[in-house]
Order: sequence, then C-alpha cells, then structure tokens
Amino acid sequence: MKLPVAAGLSTAAVAITLYPLFDGGAWFWASMGAILVVTVVGVVAGRLGARPWVTPVAAPFALLVYLTAVFTHDLAWLGVVPTKDSLPLLAELVSTGFDDIQRYAAPVPANPGITLLTAGGVGLIALLVDLFAVRLRRAALAGLPLLALFTVPAAVITDPIGWPAFVIGAFGYVGLLVADGRERLSHWGRAVVVRRSRTLTGGGSPDTGRLALSGKRIGVTAIALSILLPALLPALSPDPLFGFGVGNGLGSGGGTIAIPDAIAKLSGQLSQQNNDTVLTYTSSDDQPRYMRIYALDLFDGTKFTPSGLRGRPEDRVSEGPLPPAPGLGPAVTVKRAETRISISEDIGRLTFLPLPYPAVQVEADGDWRADESTLTVFSTKDEAAGLAYRVVTGEPEPTTTQLDTALPQPEGEARYVSLPSGLDPRIAALAKRVTSGATTQYQRAVKLQNWFTHTGKFTYNIRASGSGRQALSHFLFDERSGYCEQFASAMAVMARMLNIPARVAIGYTGGTKIGDKWTVRVHDAHAWPELYFAGVGWLRFEPTPAGAAGQGTAEAPQYTLPVTPSAGPSAGPSSGPATGTDDSDTLGRPSRPNPRQIDRDLGAVPLAPAPGMPVIAKVGVGAAVVLLLALIPAAARLLSRSRRGRVLGRTAPPAGAVPARAATAGGDDRAGRRPPADAAWLELCDTLTDLGMPRRRDESPRALGRRITERYELDAESAASLARIVSAEERLRYARTPAAAGPGRADVRRVRRALAGNVSRWRRLGAVVAPMSTLLRIRAVGERALDLFDLLEGVRLRSGPGPAAGSVQADRSYEAPRETTLTGSRR
Amino acid sequence: MAATPDVTDAETRLEDLVDTARRIRDAIESVIEGKSDVVRLTLTVLLAEGHLLIEDVPGVGKTMLAKALARSIDCPVKRVQFTPDLLPSDITGVSAYNQQSREFEFKPGPVFANIVVGDEINRASPKTQSALLECMEEHQVTVDGVTYRLESPFMVIATQNPIEMEGTYPLPEAQRDRFTARIAMGYPEAAAELEMLDVHGASQPLDKLDPVATTAQVHALISAVRAVYVSQPVKRYAVDLVAATRSSPDLRLGASPRATLHLVRCARAHAALSGRDYVIPDDLQDLAVPVLAHRLLPSMEAQGQRRHPEQVITELVRRVPVPDTR
Repeated sequence: MKLPVAAGLSTAAVAITLYPLFDGGAWFWASMGAILVVTVVGVVAGRLGARPWVTPVAAPFALLVYLTAVFTHDLAWLGVVPTKDSLPLLAELVSTGFDDIQRYAAPVPANPGITLLTAGGVGLIALLVDLFAVRLRRAALAGLPLLALFTVPAAVITDPIGWPAFVIGAFGYVGLLVADGRERLSHWGRAVVVRRSRTLTGGGSPDTGRLALSGKRIGVTAIALSILLPALLPALSPDPLFGFGVGNGLGSGGGTIAIPDAIAKLSGQLSQQNNDTVLTYTSSDDQPRYMRIYALDLFDGTKFTPSGLRGRPEDRVSEGPLPPAPGLGPAVTVKRAETRISISEDIGRLTFLPLPYPAVQVEADGDWRADESTLTVFSTKDEAAGLAYRVVTGEPEPTTTQLDTALPQPEGEARYVSLPSGLDPRIAALAKRVTSGATTQYQRAVKLQNWFTHTGKFTYNIRASGSGRQALSHFLFDERSGYCEQFASAMAVMARMLNIPARVAIGYTGGTKIGDKWTVRVHDAHAWPELYFAGVGWLRFEPTPAGAAGQGTAEAPQYTLPVTPSAGPSAGPSSGPATGTDDSDTLGRPSRPNPRQIDRDLGAVPLAPAPGMPVIAKVGVGAAVVLLLALIPAAARLLSRSRRGRVLGRTAPPAGAVPARAATAGGDDRAGRRPPADAAWLELCDTLTDLGMPRRRDESPRALGRRITERYELDAESAASLARIVSAEERLRYARTPAAAGPGRADVRRVRRALAGNVSRWRRLGAVVAPMSTLLRIRAVGERALDLFDLLEGVRLRSGPGPAAGSVQADRSYEAPRETTLTGSRR
Repeated sequence: MAATPDVTDAETRLEDLVDTARRIRDAIESVIEGKSDVVRLTLTVLLAEGHLLIEDVPGVGKTMLAKALARSIDCPVKRVQFTPDLLPSDITGVSAYNQQSREFEFKPGPVFANIVVGDEINRASPKTQSALLECMEEHQVTVDGVTYRLESPFMVIATQNPIEMEGTYPLPEAQRDRFTARIAMGYPEAAAELEMLDVHGASQPLDKLDPVATTAQVHALISAVRAVYVSQPVKRYAVDLVAATRSSPDLRLGASPRATLHLVRCARAHAALSGRDYVIPDDLQDLAVPVLAHRLLPSMEAQGQRRHPEQVITELVRRVPVPDTR
C-alpha cells in the first residue's frame, strides 16, 4: 500500500471515533472528502516526483477549494474557486460553528457550521499526518495528530469510547506504521542474489512480507491486549465490554447539557424593558401553573448551578411517558391535568421545554429528552421557539399528615443537602431560630417560607445587587431585600441546613389570564425552591413576596401556607372546582403496566449497588476471574489426559484377542486399532512438551525414543514402556498392519513418571499449572486467526494496482538475464 | 482369514533374508575388518538391485570389498581394470569372425557376469564409460544391432580415486546418477588395522572365503525386498527430501527423480536387512547421504565455504519434517 494512502486511511479510521459527537452523518462524508482531497494531493505530488514541501503547501489550498465547493458553493466562482464573497461566508460559518460547539453538548447537530469545522479540522489532521508520515518519513510521529483527533471524543464525552471504535482507530495507526516499514525496506534495494532464479519468488523489490507479518502480529497483539486487559481488570474498566459509545443501554450514556449561568440570564430577563409574551397556555382545570424550565441542584457557596443533564435516546419523550416523579409514593393523591402550551416565535434560543411539574407525559415535535432526576425536558438540536405541545401532569396533593410524617430521605443523593464549607455560621443559627417550635420537617419548611414572605420583613427589589460569598449573609441579615433569585437561593440553602433536600427551579410563574388563555411574559421569569419529602416528592415553595409589592404573578401553593392548629388535617390545597378536573386518582404505580419503567429500573441496577461493592471485593472478583482464566489450559490438559487414559484403558485386552482382530482388520483398515497407540503417542508428545523436552521436526518416533532413553537415562522398565509406545506409533504410521499389542495406560504413566523425575520441581509444577502443550495449541489457534488477517492483506494487495497476470510472466523473463550477469558462470 | 498365510509367509521370508544377509556380511567382514557400515550399505545396494560406486584413496580396500562380496555369493564375477585405452568393446564384448563356421560370433565381454567390478572407472575415456552405462541401466548389451540380456542379478561395483587427477576423466553427472549409492571406505581404525596385519600378513584371506549364498538365494532376497511395504507418508517424505535438494540455495544441481526411486528402493532393502517389512523415515535418513550426495553439485557459494554435498544433505535431513499422519 502506498504510504500517502495509508496515511489517509489511518486518519479516516481515527476520524470514525468522532461519531458519538454528532447527530447525523453529514460530518462524516464531509470529513472523508477532506481526507480524500489531502490524500489525492499527496499521491499526485508523489507521482509527479514533486519536492517534499509541495504537498504541505498545496494541500491547504486544495482543502480550501474543497470546503468552498462544499459549503459556499453558491458564492464561489464556478462553484469552486473562493471569491471575496465566499470567503467571508466561510469565516462566518466557522464562527457560527464555534458558537454552536460552545453551546451544544454532544451529540451536536451536524449543522453547516459544525460540519465545516469538523471537515476542516479533520482535513488539517490529515495534512499533518501526511506531513509527518509521508514527507518527513516519521510515521511514528504521525501518531500525535491522530492522537489529538482521538482525544476529542475522549475528552468531550464522559463515557469511554467504545472498544470497536478504538480498535478501528488503532488499526489505522498500525496500518500506517506497517506501510511505512514496508516502504522503508523497499528502499534498501534488492539483495544480491546468487542462488538460482527458480527459488526467487519476488520481482524487483525485497520480500518485506515476513517483516510486515511480524509487525502486524505485534500490532494485533498489542491492540488485543489493550482491549482485553482493562476489560479483565474490573477496577480499571468503567465500561463493560461490548458497548459502542453513547447510549449503549448499559452505561449511563447520554449527552450532558451545559446551562450558561442561568441566574444571570434570569435577572436580565426580569429587568428587561419590554415585557414580551413568552408563552401562552390553556389547562384542563384552568388553573395557573408555574412553568419550570430546569432545576439547579449544586450550591457552591455563592450561587446555584445545575449538574449535568442526562438524556439517553430511550429517554425521548416521544417514546412514552416520562420517568416517574422522584419520591412520589402511591399513597399520595395525584391530580391529573392537561396543559397545552405554545411558545412564542420571538423568544431567543431555548432548548428546554417550560413544563408544569411533575410532567407525566409530553407530546412535542422533535428530539426532546427527559432528565430522569429533575424531569427537565431538553433537546440537543431542536429549539422551543414557536413550538406547541401538550403536557399531562400528575400533581401530588398531599395531606398535611402525609407531609408531617414524611421523612426527608434524600434517595441516596447527597447533593440535595450538601453545602460548601465556610458558609456564614449565623445562617444555620438563623434557620434554627426561624423554625423553632416546628416539630416536623414539613412544618419547618412552612415556617421558613412564612418567615420570608411575612414575618421576616423582606421586601422585593429587582435592583438588588450583591454577589459573591457574602451576598447571602448580606441578603439575610443586612438588606432583607432582593428578588426571586435571592429568596429562592436563601430558602434552599436554609432548608438544606435543616437537612431538607432542596434545589432551585428556574422558569416562569403561571402568568396572567388574558381571554381564555394564560399568558406568560418575560417579567414572569422566576426562581423558586423545591423541597423534597419522601413519599411525596419535590414540592414547590414560594418565599418570594407576591402581589403588587412583589413578583406580581407569584403564588404560594396551598400546602405551604401555615395551618392553624385547629384546622387539623386539611383535605389538601385548592380543592378546586371539580368541573375542570380531568381525573383525580391515586396512581397505582405498581399495577400500571409500563415497560419503560421496568427498563429504567433495570438500567438503574448497575448504578445503585456499584458504590456498595467494596474495592477489595472487586479486586477479589477480578483476581478470581483471572485465576479461573489462567487455569483453563491446565483443565484442558487434564481433560485430554484423562480422555486418553480412558482410550488406553479400553485396550488392555487379553493378549489373544488382539492379533485376531488385527488380522481380520487386514491391511488397509487401520481404523480399528488406531486410537490407543495414537493416544499413548499423543500423551507422550504432550508430556515432553510440558516438561520442556522439545521434539525435533526431523525425528521419527524411533529416533525420538532412542534419544529420550539415552538422554534421560531411563531405567530398563521405563525404556521398555517407551519403546512400546514408540513402536506402536511407528507401526501405526508406517507399517501395513498396526502392532499386535499396543501400549497400556501403565506404560504411559511409567514413562511420564520417569521423565518427570528428570526435571526440577518447578518445571513439574509448571507442567501441571500452565501446560505448554495446551498453550501452544491455543497459540496455534491465534496464529490461524492472524493468518486470516494475512489473507485479507493478500486480497488487498492483489486487488491493488500492480502488474496484471499476463505481465508477471514478462517481468520474470526480463529478470532472468540480469541474474545471469550477476552470478556469472553459475551453470 | 485369507491374509494369515501371506503374513506368515512374509515373516519367514524376512527371517530367511536376515539370516542369509548376516551370513554374507560375516563372510565379507572376515576379509574387511571394522567396516560394518560399509558392508551393510553394500548389501543394501545389492538387494536394491543397484550399483555401487566406491570412492576413496588407493589402498583402503575398495577392490577387496568388491571381491569379497563377489566371492561370498556363488555367482560369476568379472573384473575390469579401466585404463585410458580401454575400448567399449572391451567391456561389452565383440563380434569376431569364426573361420570355421564362417560367421560372426559374439564373444561376451566382462559385463556378462552377476557382479562386475570396475576398477578405477574414472581412468577410462567417456566413450568407454558410457558403454558401461547402458549395461547398468538397461541390463542389456547391444553389439552390431543384436541385443544380449545380461545376467540377473547384475551389479556393478566401481571404484574410483578422488585425488588422482592425472589421466582421469571425471564421471559426468549423468553417469554418477546411475550409481545407486556412493560410499567412501575411509581408513580403518587402529585396532582394525592391527588385526588386518595379523590376518593379511600370513595369507590371503580372500582365498579362504567360501560362497555362503547362491544366486537363487540372492534372487529370493531381492524379491523379498520388493515386497517391503512403503507407506504413503514415507513416500511423501522421500519426495520431500529429494525436493529439498532441488530448492536448496547451496546446491547447483538437485537430485533427479531417479534418485527418489533409488532412495526408496534402498530404503526397502535397508528395512528388510533390519528385519522390518515396512520402511520408516529412519531408513531414508540413514541412506540420504550415500544415495543422494554423489548426484549433487554444490553451488559456488557452498564451494567457496567448502561445504560438501554430504554436509548439505545432512542439514536438509535435519530440516525436512518427518511425516506425521496427523
């Protein structure tokens, strides 16, 4: 294979590993085209015998022309040549591409900007590989740009790259090295041949096949080891075998979405001059609902930020109901309602769906996926602008008793109660003081909210400033003035201090009713805390002052309002007009047939017990597996030995019976007596191999027996046994009729013992634990597999450009005289 | 059941063969001391219906060996001393005009015997040498358009001196190829030489040698050898061995298909002499050097390194794997 082609192929192989980053295949063909362009330039330059610097100079131009032709076809001259119109467009595409890459998480949509960036990048890598491998003849160095390309998916995707992708990439690189080695060897020139021409197989170049073969074997072995070894060591492999990149169903999978400073965006929206409509909705019970966009669960001491979202392909909302709301138990009454939402065309880029919480089902066009823990619905390629969709919610309507008895067990997710160290200690004291007198967590939460909205004398002020570590203390102790962000954050932090799991939700309030529709405007952007109660799930609280002096459309849920002790267990909030209610039932979750839920439960299994398994146990299991694998050859050896023993035992017949049988069997029918002598011989050979007493290829059975007897000074009895085995095998192979009396099991045992007495104890142990004979057989199987690779190699070479069958003959006759002159008077 | 008599018959024949061969061997060894390998090989060639070329320095007992073999078998033996002026008719015989019968009458030459000893064969002119060739290969003589059959068994034992170059015509490859085997006598060991002094000093031991076998017995031996079984793997091994000489870079000329034939024939005899009715690879290995070496031409490289065909063959034997039925 020509070196430039090998360079191109290796780049292409590594480029394949980029595939989990993209959605759709446009990037692939564009990238392959870029590689092809660079490769063709390299090959043509090589053909024309151009100087080495020509390709690195010419290829970028070719690449530019290619990118122009593909991406700015319309503005280019003749559709190909870059013009002063097409170049700025290209640059603009590049910058959009960069922006998109910043904005999207993998898998990113293959829009023109990103595709251009990818194709250009891959083309540049191909250029570098070509430069290193072909022009500078440093093929090993070409691994660096390839590695750079390889690290892109490795760095971007949290999951490890699937092993098949790795194998393809690695083979690409090995192929490049092999091609380089071959090319290098072929430059050594032809060996001066003195032997006869008929023994010469090749034409004008030295036979590099053998070297390439060993190179390939080393390469294949190295790749196989790098795949198998981590897979066998449980501690090192976060990804089980047989996963291919993203969404393999076993791993956690899915892209993560980075949300750029949500809070900052919120304050910007609230202070905007024009109060445009964001969305409108109608609901089946005609109640306003907070439209939640996403939830922030990490608190770093200054602000809440979201942890990554997970959206696997099977989490698409189009595939069925959303994951069940976390923590919502079967005892709680659930109010079902349907909401139809339409988002304004004019809003900026929004890749989340504003939804009432908790959504049970979402019907929306596009690839929208639900995050399991927050029920946030997002997309990596579709936008919400102009979208109209339907949501079914199942709002919990817990009774006070249920809330009172609920224990805040944070489902193993400590992140909802974790707080950074170094927080103002006064805050914790304040939280305790404010909630003193409350006996349950729920009552504490209610008191907390009440303190913010009423007793704490907070005022709503959208101009509130202050950030950093002191902002929280400043808000709570000094200023007591702020907007929804401060209220939500402060309440969430204080709730966490009281050991109530809390997070901050970002979205919109329910808006105002205009006509028969609820309208949500920019100023309705809002943040509120969500607190967790086991059995009920996440509940919205509203610490931000509502009404004219606060956030206009904010509304505290019924259950968060303080109850008078006499009221007793109320029937729940807003036991609203039953007319609009769809249906209100306790969802018998276990009985509900939901295959996806079962799937999800299964999927969760590997995650849940994993942290519970101690490292020691993992190492132990790994060691046990390794040990078992290591003992397979020994077991196989024992098995074959006992099988042969049985065969031999079967033929310790009375002496009279055997000759008759042999006689009747006659000359050619040797099958009758074949197995026993064979078994003894095979066992002898394996024993010799195991004990490190090699057989020579040129040794007949008789010669082997003679040598063994002399070399290891066998006693008369063992020597006689050995002679029996050997002569039986000899007759079996070469005589007209096999031996009358074959060797018995005792013969084999005696010889084995005599031979074993000649070697060290370690060698004997090795013969049992890691029998060489079996290992060699395993190696033979491996070599056969490698031969398959060679076969493929042969196929490729034959189909490649080379002399046709007819011209080979001509080559040979041309070669002949040259050889004659070389060797002079040979004949 | 029908096979049983055959098997027993073959076994007795084999026993006879081993017995007769031992007697001949003992007889020869009473004359040639300490050369049992050479004697055994000579017998092998005889039983393989081949011809033997003995090559060594003068005075090591080449002619003595040939004579001893001839004497121990009760059959006509002729001896030809090859000289540069020897003519083909001196070997094959001439048609002489008989005055009385007024007809041409064929006077048989020395080839009309069971064993022909050709001494210093490389001293004769190529024309004479080639006259012997026809006899060796075809077992017949053609004089004046009339073909005469030779005796059976017919064996030529030729000797030649390797170092005496003056007045010699080296045997061409084609002619060497007709000899089944070539052996070198080698100097005797000290003890054997000492004993020789005792025995040969007083009298001529050859005179005391009485025939121990008849022509008919030798015929029987030869037919027994022909019945020795050569399995398919062994045949393949023989072909492999010979093929290896053709592809070896150390050899300019490999062995011919006739060599393969001779090799297997000798292996049969070798096996029979060991009392086996089947050939094993060891037989071929033992015979590879004497049967193949004299037919080969070393390459310039090998000659430069002073590697003789014998060495090359030994290495080849070590390289070619022994056939395995599996």
